[in-house]
Amino acid sequence: MRLNRSGSTNIALNLLVGICALTLAFPLIWILLMSLKQQGEVMAWPPKFIFSPTLENFRVLFDAAQAGATSYGTIKVDFLTPVTNSVAIALGSVFVSMLLGVPAGYVLARRDIPMKEDIAFFILGFRFAPALLVVIPLFNVFQTIGLYDTYLGMIWVYQVVTLPMIVWLSRSYIEDIPKDIEEAAAMDGAKPVRVILHIVLPLLKPGLIGASLLIFLLAWHNFALGLILSSTKAPVTVALLKLLNPGVQFYPVMAAGLVVTMIIPVILIVMGQRHLERGLTFGAVK
Amino acid sequence: MANVRLEGLNKAYGTIQILRNIDLTIDHGEFVVFVGPSGSGKSTLLRMIGGLEPISGGRLFIDNELVNDVDAADRNLGMVFQSYALYPHMTVRENLAFPLRMAKATKAEIGKRVAEAASLLQIDHLLDRKPRQLSGGQRQRVAIGRAIVREPKVFLFDEPLSNLDTELRVQMRVQIAKLHEQLGNTMIYVTHDQVEAMTMADKIVVLKDGNIEQVGSPHELYHYPASRFVAGFIGSPKMNFLGGHIEAAHETGVEVRLDAGSTVSVPVRPDQLLVGKPITLGIRPDDFSQPAEDKEIALELDVDFVEHLGSVTYIYGNAGKEAVVAKAPRLEPAKRSGKVRLAASPADCHLFTANGKALQRLHAPANWS
Repeated sequence: MRLNRSGSTNIALNLLVGICALTLAFPLIWILLMSLKQQGEVMAWPPKFIFSPTLENFRVLFDAAQAGATSYGTIKVDFLTPVTNSVAIALGSVFVSMLLGVPAGYVLARRDIPMKEDIAFFILGFRFAPALLVVIPLFNVFQTIGLYDTYLGMIWVYQVVTLPMIVWLSRSYIEDIPKDIEEAAAMDGAKPVRVILHIVLPLLKPGLIGASLLIFLLAWHNFALGLILSSTKAPVTVALLKLLNPGVQFYPVMAAGLVVTMIIPVILIVMGQRHLERGLTFGAVK
Repeated sequence: MANVRLEGLNKAYGTIQILRNIDLTIDHGEFVVFVGPSGSGKSTLLRMIGGLEPISGGRLFIDNELVNDVDAADRNLGMVFQSYALYPHMTVRENLAFPLRMAKATKAEIGKRVAEAASLLQIDHLLDRKPRQLSGGQRQRVAIGRAIVREPKVFLFDEPLSNLDTELRVQMRVQIAKLHEQLGNTMIYVTHDQVEAMTMADKIVVLKDGNIEQVGSPHELYHYPASRFVAGFIGSPKMNFLGGHIEAAHETGVEVRLDAGSTVSVPVRPDQLLVGKPITLGIRPDDFSQPAEDKEIALELDVDFVEHLGSVTYIYGNAGKEAVVAKAPRLEPAKRSGKVRLAASPADCHLFTANGKALQRLHAPANWS
């Protein structure tokens, strides 16, 4: 049965959706426009929507050699390093989380171990605590054991953010796979490791792609951990803060930095959209 | 191909006992059906043989080898699941090849065996499809193919037909029985459907509440049920049970006075201790016939309902306070209400004591071959 709506209802509904979309998109569009403007145009009132765009801000962002000389002052930025850092940390975090989290999710889904639900809840519990709560003591610990400002240390501490997600997501995906299929494989002569390699992992693949996208984004957007626990290995979110220069505000350069920061997740989302939706539904829909 | 021997097999989840001291010998090449109501432990027993459930106690031998602690993967058995459990990401060909790949067969060997199994089950034309593109019956055949391709020692079937519609179920029943003839393997088949059990089995194992109630051929179970439970479970429509008590015991049998009125002399092994005790008389709907002079047991039935099945007509009614189903003596439409007089031969009757045990019948039934 189809719902029949009158024309006016349809228009009203479409209008509402349009307003929603515009509200959500407006800041993004604003930033994009800002990154293409000159310093003078940014502050103009009323705001200009038609102007001759420039890529100058992006040049300043990445041109460390010229120490960011602009026509309206100097700014010293090296934006390539934090982007590289973020990519390395986020990818590394995803990789480590998958390596540890999927087997953990499998055990939680399939094996009878004592206190199973408590363990699962404990793992999820890391998501409840604000990261800032642990970050101060961790600063001391990291300095002492030499993990401060290293990729290893960053990837390790990012597990607080990414690992619980992977454990819970993969657990729910594995629970969606009928147990019969694994038992059939065992009857067909497959040892547990081969059951996982030949049966479970191929069936998990779409879910895991979605989940890894999701946790990549979580890692990418994290700010507090990078701010406190790194300096030269700081992620892009921290580098953005450093653009907030005392004195002259280089708004267009900051906007350009934001655009660069956003563009990587956006590309990933567009590429993996189908899988990401599956990741977000948390295996609720079978 | 192998025999299977269960010695005092136990299964418990915590303090809950699922199976108690199961002793059973399954000979090489036998088709054995485990049958029982849900919760009887029949599937658990099959899964223990398969290695999917750990054994809590007792010993399990396959091919005269103790396998209690052998992994499912190493027992070399084939299993067909109720849900078929095909690998959804693989084509039919890959599904069939999987057990052979796990056994590290050569490419040529795999190709040959898959082709053989596919042609045996008439699924050659489906080899390149994924399971989701198949109908229920086709999936069922692929599941069977995957079980036979490795030529396992024993086949295990866990209610394989319960997801199919009636017509297909009858077809597959015949096909599995034929397959057993062709392959000659030992097969163990679990079902709650007594018709499947009766039509396919060499040997039926009736389970109830984790105990074996009776083991025997379909004919033995039908004609010599060891208990009221087996008598009621095997045969369709169900056996009628009428209350009464024993008046006397002779060498030729016992005198039973039915609550419904008449007195019958039933040829069972007499037991003086039972005189005066309550007893249940069992008689199958198909054993009723027209009243005649030589028939001793006669019932007057208040007809409730009449069921015409074409080849047979069943009358549902009441004799006194007890519900009775009887095969109508004639094929022509029976009266849909009123009273019908029915009779049966005492030799066709079964007697069950208050605790459900059957008294041993002295005569072979008339249709016993």
